Amino acid sequence: MFFYSIQERKNRDAQMRATINQKLVVSGERDKLKELLRTRLIECGWRDQLKQHCKEIVKQKGLEHVTVDDLVAEITPKGRALVPDQVKKELLQKIRKFLSEQQQS
Amino acid sequence: MNTKCCPHLSVFKATKGLEPFRIIHTYFISCTSREARKRKAKSCVCHTCRQARPRLHSCLSCVYFGCYGLKHIQEHAKSKMHNLAIDLTYGTILCFACGDYVYDTEIEHIAEAQQKIAEQWMGVTNSFSAWEPTDKEVELLQQNPKRRRLTANSTIGLRGLINLGNTCFMNCIVQALTHTPFLRDYFLSDQHNCQMRKDSEQCLVCEMSRLFQEFYSGMRTPHTPYRLLHLVWTHARHLAGYEQQDAHEFLIATLDVLHQHCKGSNGLSNSNPHHCNCIIDQIFTGGLQSDVTCQQCNNVSTTIDPFWDISLDLGPTEAETDFPNGIDKFEEPTSLTNCLKRFTRPEYLGSSAKIKCSICQSYQESTKQLTMKKLPLVACFHLKRFEHSTGYHKKISTYVSFPEELDMTPFMSSSRNHNNGYSEQVIREAASCLSSDYKYSLYAVVNHRGTADSGHYTSFVRQHKDYWFRCEDHLVIRAKLEEVLRSEGSVATGIKLAVHKVKQMCSNNNNMIFL
Repeated sequence: MFFYSIQERKNRDAQMRATINQKLVVSGERDKLKELLRTRLIECGWRDQLKQHCKEIVKQKGLEHVTVDDLVAEITPKGRALVPDQVKKELLQKIRKFLSEQQQS
Repeated sequence: MNTKCCPHLSVFKATKGLEPFRIIHTYFISCTSREARKRKAKSCVCHTCRQARPRLHSCLSCVYFGCYGLKHIQEHAKSKMHNLAIDLTYGTILCFACGDYVYDTEIEHIAEAQQKIAEQWMGVTNSFSAWEPTDKEVELLQQNPKRRRLTANSTIGLRGLINLGNTCFMNCIVQALTHTPFLRDYFLSDQHNCQMRKDSEQCLVCEMSRLFQEFYSGMRTPHTPYRLLHLVWTHARHLAGYEQQDAHEFLIATLDVLHQHCKGSNGLSNSNPHHCNCIIDQIFTGGLQSDVTCQQCNNVSTTIDPFWDISLDLGPTEAETDFPNGIDKFEEPTSLTNCLKRFTRPEYLGSSAKIKCSICQSYQESTKQLTMKKLPLVACFHLKRFEHSTGYHKKISTYVSFPEELDMTPFMSSSRNHNNGYSEQVIREAASCLSSDYKYSLYAVVNHRGTADSGHYTSFVRQHKDYWFRCEDHLVIRAKLEEVLRSEGSVATGIKLAVHKVKQMCSNNNNMIFL
């Protein structure tokens, strides 16, 4: 029987994520992807929807009493859920493409 | 929420100035050098848990990095009494004493300037920034309290156009243009700055601007475009008179006049016709690459020409223009993709049309291939349904299918000559990827019914997603997508689905426009 350490597996995944993130930052790809994501989210109405939701929260709590933390806590789950699958797929595809190009060069 | 500068930040600014903020911003938020980016990639981790977690903050006093989610930055602030931290994603300042993010004009100015430099350095243009009303705009908004909200069933933007005597060729194109998202955004945000100061009455761009106001005013009665017609008659004399005209010719003439008028009469940008940056060029201009290959030495000479639309041949090809050993003889095309394939295939120029080769230094037989070097934001396709040969005019009314979403990847210059192995796989992958940079989405179709000598133009426009309307002069009727795709299509337009680009297409019985 063979077992591998789950903790080690987790560490390695985290390491891999950090390396990928570094590559994306150094090459400037991360900023480009961020801009693309921003564009897509505006195009599909995600930004407007969330903005509207934020406005409602602000109205409900009153401008003087609401904090960024309150908004983040209420908006984050909704924001995540509302990102269209298509957008997620496109971003994933772009990251894959970037990594395979990195590998070749 | 604290919208005024908080007292803690004021004290910090008074004692330490703005330099700490500027330095952290330059190195870790908007990097303006490769070195800065390397540093950012390496060191943007929480100093406590050593991980790159979301919402990383930097202490403004001692540049300690801590993540917000696991409360490491909060703990640092508490133990060291360092109350101010910068969010390393957005560059906003968090004040722990106030318990929220705080905003300061000076700080925001620095961040904005840094952001601009970083974008220039990266070559990002037109990045998104939220709209901030100027004082004047705030005043205007207060004076005009009425607001309009667009809903799914709103008819705003839809208006019929009175036929002024065989002017359906103009009406159908106007409908397509007024539903071009980028043009609409440009005109409704009042970005046109008339360059023809002396006689702005003559400026077609100003007239377009008024036309957009008419279309989006919420009025539902048909509009009478007599001023537009008059201007077209003045500036494109060949379209003057009450005869029937070709819609495609009108489109090209209109774009040409708009392009001229954008530049104005000062001639500043006239010196370099290929690098105009007017709205028409930004939206409609693409680059067509033409490669002529010498059959003797295989030397390729390449030229790139700008285009506003692509005219596609219909009907079977004549044998003499085919490759001598060509296997892909083209049947009568029955789809837009077929037409484009035919348009971009290598063409044998024949033994009677030899071209001088710069390597062989002599006239040689050659092949020519057209491909897309640069795609415009709005791709406009025109199906050549009218055949004008000596003595007769004929209309080819073969049904040509066109998709709601068009992928231009196979017709790009970069796809040329790579029909083997790995590259092909890349192309296929790119094509299967849901939104490649070369995708267009149909938004308008212009149709012609009748014969080559007389007939009538109508158009289909997409008002917003999945809401199609058929426009026939003063009539505007809700249509189904199937009707649009079943129509013959003369001009179709599509918009590109990239940076703020949604490529769409419009087709008419002879032309299609993809924006």
